[in-house]
Amino acid sequence: MSTRIRIAAFAMAAAVSLAVSAPTLAEGNLAIYAWADSISPEMVAKFEKETGIKVTVDAFSSNEDLLTKLQAGSSGYDIVTPSQHFVKIMIDSGLLEDFGASSMAAYQQVLPEWQKPWWDPSGNHSIPLAFGNAGYTVNRDLYKGPVDSWKTYFEPPAELKGKIASLAQPDEVIPAAENYLGIKYCSEDPQEMKRVLDLLLAQKPFVAAYSSDNIENRIGSGEVAAHFWWDGNTMRLRRNDKANVEYAMPKEGLVGWLDSYVVPKGASNVENAKKFISFMTQLDNATAQYNYYGHSSPVKIDESKALYNKQTAPELFPTVPVKMGQACSPAAQELVTKVWTQLLQ
Amino acid sequence: MKPSIKNPNWNVLGLLPAHVIMLLTLIIPIGIIVVVSFSTRGPYGGFEYVFTSAPYKQLLFNQGWTGELEFNPQYLIVVARTLVLSAVTTSICLLLSFPVAYFIALQRPTVKVLLIYLVTLPFWVSMIVRVYSWIIILGKDGVIEKTLRGLGLVDQMDSLLFGNTAMLVGLVYSYIPLMILPIFASIEKLDHALIEASHDLYGNRLTTLRRVILPLIRPGMIAGAILVFVPSLGAVLEPTLLGGGKTMMMGNLIQLQFGGARNWPLGAAIAIVLMAAVMVFLVFQGLRSIRTEGLERAS
Repeated sequence: MSTRIRIAAFAMAAAVSLAVSAPTLAEGNLAIYAWADSISPEMVAKFEKETGIKVTVDAFSSNEDLLTKLQAGSSGYDIVTPSQHFVKIMIDSGLLEDFGASSMAAYQQVLPEWQKPWWDPSGNHSIPLAFGNAGYTVNRDLYKGPVDSWKTYFEPPAELKGKIASLAQPDEVIPAAENYLGIKYCSEDPQEMKRVLDLLLAQKPFVAAYSSDNIENRIGSGEVAAHFWWDGNTMRLRRNDKANVEYAMPKEGLVGWLDSYVVPKGASNVENAKKFISFMTQLDNATAQYNYYGHSSPVKIDESKALYNKQTAPELFPTVPVKMGQACSPAAQELVTKVWTQLLQ
Repeated sequence: MKPSIKNPNWNVLGLLPAHVIMLLTLIIPIGIIVVVSFSTRGPYGGFEYVFTSAPYKQLLFNQGWTGELEFNPQYLIVVARTLVLSAVTTSICLLLSFPVAYFIALQRPTVKVLLIYLVTLPFWVSMIVRVYSWIIILGKDGVIEKTLRGLGLVDQMDSLLFGNTAMLVGLVYSYIPLMILPIFASIEKLDHALIEASHDLYGNRLTTLRRVILPLIRPGMIAGAILVFVPSLGAVLEPTLLGGGKTMMMGNLIQLQFGGARNWPLGAAIAIVLMAAVMVFLVFQGLRSIRTEGLERAS
């Protein structure tokens, strides 16, 4: 009898320990979920050394992945770094902590044009991390023609046919198509979105892959000759790997983005998160982060120590209009999904 | 007397941990998915507990570009493609596995152990790494292209990567060990006296293969086919990495609904349909094997 009770008790204990996932509440931890390779590992090490806080950094490669994780609840992260339109969606859905960002010293480091933007009007939910734009890059060994229009990418000339790659997220690609067609972002007009679909369907036979991973290899090695990509990434590939790539400046306009540090609701280490954000916005650290990440900095940096300027990194200083990506209404998002599903069905 | 009869509670209690784990990690999560699939989608993803069967209707009917509800087979096309690709994968695995398994079965015991070990070896490496390595093999300036060019067979070739062929290569490569092992096991059990008997009765090699060997190893082939077909249905990595993400399989469709499309209920509904299809397939297989066994016993 007693054996049986003991076994039953053991089973119950096992059940209970399975049901209650042990939260990592230990003091001195910080869990960051950021864009792949976006946070300088050197700065993380320096922060750990200065504060004794143990930092873990996980990577995501699309805003959607991040949103899904937060919506699923108890992500376990203290800092995440979504783009502007997803910051708005997250604030509207009550997924973010109001950590009083605008009253932090770090806020004084934010450049005036990025203070209290439309996606965070109170300025209390986010501190910007980096900004840039989405466009396309070409491998100049394989393609010598003009790159002054989205036409080269969406309606490719013969030498690019079959040698184009796209990203795997509708959120990135469709606004670019809208810029090309002169349609405003987040259109709720099915006829306009049908035109976007027709453009993408006509382009599809010439697209080698829709993939957001491993881009530098694909474009750098010449597996494809044109790739939907970001400004700073192109610049890093060109500078670090001496790849013969060029970032396009399409006259119809690039798609702007800005990623911010935000704190998910219910994060267990809010104070440590604030410490880290403050640390990363200090002049020297922000400069080191800028030199590592290679995307434009929305916080003040030490220009004398910055590696990139108009001469060395023209990618970061667009000469064409940049239109910031918007947060679409559910109706508009439905059309975006419809375009993407029919494109890849 | 069997202990289970003397003490009927004992088995139930002893298996309790297994039942608890099943309940917590399988039954309850599936229940949650069913609930989500009948819920209303949230404005920005997520879901609200308001009952609706809309996600299932959406599998077949969608608002057209002009606004009215129309029959739209876009998701059925993905389902059909998934079934076809999984069936092709299973067939190729069957064809390739039989000679391999037979060859292994003919070796000396030590060699046999070594070969079986080599077949299972890839499972020690992460699936992502294994699928990725095919990018290097099939890609531009990859092993295949370099070899062909080195032999002077081709001058300029299109990339082998990104297409249904590359995807199939990946699927077959990923799942073929699951086919080789059960077929090998049934060949091992083959009674060689029956093969000799067939030859004695003037059956040639082909007749022996067709009428003696294949029927006897059929259980292994069926087991292998199930082990390959079922995971192929849910494949995500191969279509994304090797297929170039250009054509969706059900796994990618589910991923899209939970990610980019922000339509969790629809994603859950597709997952439930996929699971139901697998269940129907397995039950059908099970019933058939019971029936054939019954017939054999009766004769």
